[in-house]
Amino acid sequence: MEGILLFAISIGTLAAIYGMVTLALNLETGTGPLWDLGIVSFFGIGAYAYVILTAAPAEGHQHYLYGFGLPMWLGVIGAALAGAVAAWFIGLPSLRLRKEYFLIVTLAFAEVLRQLYINEDWLTNGVAGIYGLEQPLRGLVEARQYTYVLFALAICGLLAVWALTRMISLSAFGRACKALRENEALAITAGIDPRRTSMVLYVLAGAFTAVAGVFYVWYNTLVVPGQFSSDLTFFVWTALIIGGVGSSRGALFGAFIFILLHDSLRFLQVSGETAVTLTSLRTALIGLLLILILRFRPNGIFPETRVVFKLPDRAKAAEGAKRKGLA
Amino acid sequence: MLEVRNVSLYYGGICAVNDMSLEVAEGEIVGLIGTNGAGKTSLFNVITGFARASSGTVRFLGRDVTGYSGPRIAQAGMLRTFQTPVGFPKMTVMENMLVFSRADAAARPSIFRGASPARAVLEEAMEFLAIFGLAARAGDWVQDLAAPELKMLEFARAMMAHPKMLLLDEPAAGVNPALQGNLIEHIGALRRRGVTFLVVDHNLRFIRDICDRAYAMADGRLIASGPTGDVLNNPDVIRLYLGGGAGEEAA
Ligand SMILES: Nc1ncnc2c1ncn2[C@@H]1O[C@H](COP(=O)(O)OP(=O)(O)O)[C@@H](O)[C@H]1O
Ligand SMILES: [Mg+2]
Repeated sequence: MEGILLFAISIGTLAAIYGMVTLALNLETGTGPLWDLGIVSFFGIGAYAYVILTAAPAEGHQHYLYGFGLPMWLGVIGAALAGAVAAWFIGLPSLRLRKEYFLIVTLAFAEVLRQLYINEDWLTNGVAGIYGLEQPLRGLVEARQYTYVLFALAICGLLAVWALTRMISLSAFGRACKALRENEALAITAGIDPRRTSMVLYVLAGAFTAVAGVFYVWYNTLVVPGQFSSDLTFFVWTALIIGGVGSSRGALFGAFIFILLHDSLRFLQVSGETAVTLTSLRTALIGLLLILILRFRPNGIFPETRVVFKLPDRAKAAEGAKRKGLA
Repeated sequence: MLEVRNVSLYYGGICAVNDMSLEVAEGEIVGLIGTNGAGKTSLFNVITGFARASSGTVRFLGRDVTGYSGPRIAQAGMLRTFQTPVGFPKMTVMENMLVFSRADAAARPSIFRGASPARAVLEEAMEFLAIFGLAARAGDWVQDLAAPELKMLEFARAMMAHPKMLLLDEPAAGVNPALQGNLIEHIGALRRRGVTFLVVDHNLRFIRDICDRAYAMADGRLIASGPTGDVLNNPDVIRLYLGGGAGEEAA
């Protein structure tokens, strides 16, 4: 029984981490105009930046040069900064492009980065990865209970990203992003600079995703390049489409549904052969869900809703207009 | 206020605007007429930073704004509309208003401050919506508006920016006569508030009703200019419109 609970908590932690990335993607794609097919880039950059900043110096059998052994909080800040800088760097050439090309270029960058993690041994220890990484608040509880602590941390992280992305999308800046999403030419006539606005948005999403990458390191206690393939980008896109593009609730819900379908079968103790079958089954299951969603709820389970303001009284407004001699 | 000097614009080998010059003084409503493909929209694009002139200069409020980007021109106080009415479909009418407000423009750089707009801004927006008969639709998505409502929204949101100059690209196209009267009133009211206009339209009666002066274009060139009545009675212009099929009905 406790096994099931621990497993559920562990899956929940993973879902919370995916949730952060899905929220960041929703900021770019749901609120803003950016069709980012390379969001895994920032997830990976965040993870590696954190590890390089905080890991202990390499041991004899390891090749990486830098393990600065800095405190974790510095690692988190460093990761966010690295994500932001990476976004700026990738955004410089790619945000000049039309939507469709942006999509391709971001995908290509993600692949380039993965090759970098694999080939730059001195920085990343290559395919062997870096293991045995420390987790925050580890000493607080006994080992068995730590799953709960990490879950609580991930939920806090998720709530923080949720609150921030929500605040951003409801701000004047968020409205500008939405305007660009809806009609770039018209947005320009409102004085909105597409390139600059998109860049800020992209950098913010990069930073959020990078922080999610740190949680992923805590979750796994290791980094290897294989964790940052473009599969993750597609997973997160799938989660967002299922949940509802443009809706934070949808982004959260989509991430949890996705992880539930994708990872809960792992719990079953089965033979290797059955495991292979199950793996392809779950992919088929998710594909089926995606098709059903697109067919019957094309805007997702929680479609984007209208932004509601507490509107001033209409009659008073009409009066006011008259008084000022506008009508 | 606006001064266009010898502007030309080429699309590949096609010359869309050929050595055009025009002037609009503060407080004027100036018309720009010409058959389809004459280059009116292209000239608008050059003036508002949507296209880069191959040659010539544009001055606005005494400043040389040739080659300014679209957002910069907008920030300088020149607003334009598009030939087909547009809005931000999946944003509410109120959000559409806010995007054009000065308050939003000023708040854009501070991403982490003040999520919801100030009361005064909402009230101002509501007043403008009331004037244009859209107050009841403030909370609805723009994609749910009827075509005439969208037309009104174009004016209402322009007010939020407090523009010095409005460039209207075929405001009367596809608008029924009753609503046209409405438009004329609104344009008049805006002018009294100090807005200067440059208006493109095919509907010559509409142009006659609102414009002090007019310019006529054909094949990218200026063919006539002067007081609206004179331009509309210019033999070249009449020939053009009769030949072009727009017909006497309009005049
Ligand atoms: N983006 C473009 N690319 C190529 N040619 C264009 C483009 N826009 C307009 N043109 C051409 O420029 C000429 C003027 O068009 P336009 O400015 O739209 O005329 P108007 O608004 O007076 O009807 C036309 O011959 C048109 O085909
Ligand atoms: Mg035109």
